Amino acid sequence: MTEENTNFVCISCPMGCPLVLVTEDGEIKEVSGQQCNRGAKYAKQEYSDPKRTFSTIITIEGALYNKLPVKLTAPVPKDRIFDACKEIHKMKAVAPVKVGHVFIEGLLGLDGVNVVACRSMKKV
Amino acid sequence: MLGRMNKSYDCVIIGGGPAGMAAAMGAMDTGVSDILVVERDPEPGGILRQCIHSGFGLHYFKEELTGPEYAERFLEKMIDNDVDVVSNSYVSGISIDSDGSKQVRILHPKAGLSSIRCKSVVLAMGCRERTRGAIRIPGSRPAGVLSAGLAQKFVNMNGYLPGKKIAILGSGDIGLIMARRLVLEGCEVVGVFEMMPYSNGLTRNVVQCLDDFNIPLHLSTTVARVHGRDRVSHITVAPVDEKFNIIKEKAWDVDCDTLLLSVGLIPENELSEKIGVALDVITSGPRVSSSMETTMSGVFACGNVLHVHDLVDFVTEEALSAGRYAGEYARGTRRPADSIELVPGQNVRYCVPHTLSPEREHTVYMRATQRMQPCLLRVGNLLEKKLRFVVPAEMINLKIKPDLLDKFRGEHLTIDLIPLDDDKKMEA
Repeated sequence: MTEENTNFVCISCPMGCPLVLVTEDGEIKEVSGQQCNRGAKYAKQEYSDPKRTFSTIITIEGALYNKLPVKLTAPVPKDRIFDACKEIHKMKAVAPVKVGHVFIEGLLGLDGVNVVACRSMKKV
Repeated sequence: MLGRMNKSYDCVIIGGGPAGMAAAMGAMDTGVSDILVVERDPEPGGILRQCIHSGFGLHYFKEELTGPEYAERFLEKMIDNDVDVVSNSYVSGISIDSDGSKQVRILHPKAGLSSIRCKSVVLAMGCRERTRGAIRIPGSRPAGVLSAGLAQKFVNMNGYLPGKKIAILGSGDIGLIMARRLVLEGCEVVGVFEMMPYSNGLTRNVVQCLDDFNIPLHLSTTVARVHGRDRVSHITVAPVDEKFNIIKEKAWDVDCDTLLLSVGLIPENELSEKIGVALDVITSGPRVSSSMETTMSGVFACGNVLHVHDLVDFVTEEALSAGRYAGEYARGTRRPADSIELVPGQNVRYCVPHTLSPEREHTVYMRATQRMQPCLLRVGNLLEKKLRFVVPAEMINLKIKPDLLDKFRGEHLTIDLIPLDDDKKMEA
């Protein structure tokens, strides 16, 4: 049996708890260092299938500014961030837009990953 | 409502960012209804509008929001409550009448120069970025050197990229977040350079903004020279010694066409200086009492104009309180002067507010002068609290209850941060 420690910094909140994940033959045994229950969840996820959310912008017509900020409602696998970005950038919005408006449902075929507007923009 | 402006108000709030919007809500809580928010940009929301990443609202809303979402929640409340907002407008001065009421001079694109009478004023003008001039980077003066927040506005609101190959000086959160944003929008980020031996940003931002994209972070390293005639062609970077002197022999060149600077923020207090409120030399913001009142009666201050915050949630909390005191003042409440002066002691760079009153609960905001892990926060001989980890970039906030101050008989209360050697001592 080989026990292995992997270190992570939790990114669930600005606290940034230093986490240690202990595995035995690739099987997760325990997580320590977290100050809340999101820490263990994060370390396990990060060890087996790291995921991230991010914000980006899409072009908007007829609004005060040229760009509308959008965000993901759920994380995508870390290695698909650029694919996700590319897909989102194909979108175009036309003012008016309400905050929370869903532009893409199931981004990259991923269930529950929607692209939504981060703000409302009036038509000008 | 947006764009409407009367001749007189209970309360005029200067700045429509997170501080100004929360101050308006705070004033409303006290029952005043005539509130005007003056905003320089075409719409309220302030810097939150360009901070499109998430991480806002964990304290205040108990959920993680992006900057624009956080701003919109307050904007909706303001509109629902009929707070007047004038945008594209600028306050050029404030004068005091013999009866104590204030005249705020506002430059408005349609109304021209108008004078608005009000009972109280809240300063909520925010802060601006330090520039290349402020840190005196030698070299030529080509295009392509700009502050990180300006680049953030260009990218996130206007959709302009500042360049193709980007170097970033300063590892504060704005610098780190811009590194990721630029990579996601198709730029190459060649490195982040930080003069201090540690990052000034949150560790989670180092992880998710730099490590995730293999962007190198060079600690104890700074930009020694900018090269290029019309456009930045490259920069020379060099490690620094313990006294932050450049080690020339170890310098190297980095190819880039753009240099972003994330090297600190300065409260924007030209107006405060003009009207003669006393400023604190350390925070560069007004000196305020425990009711967030400046040295000028009826003029209050909150948010980044008072001292630079790192979390908007704390700006909101502080501004709600400043707005409440400004609202109370407009309704005629006058509180007795504070009796206790707060003194930043050992390893404390500053604390805000500057004075306290034993009459009510206070939140004191402070910053450490150095990184300490762990340390002891000591408030005179009244209170001791162990802190796991302090760093100058992260503000410390402390609630002080009135019964604690009841026991205090002095005029000066000193706050110290004392480093503890190890965990064993911490338990002792």
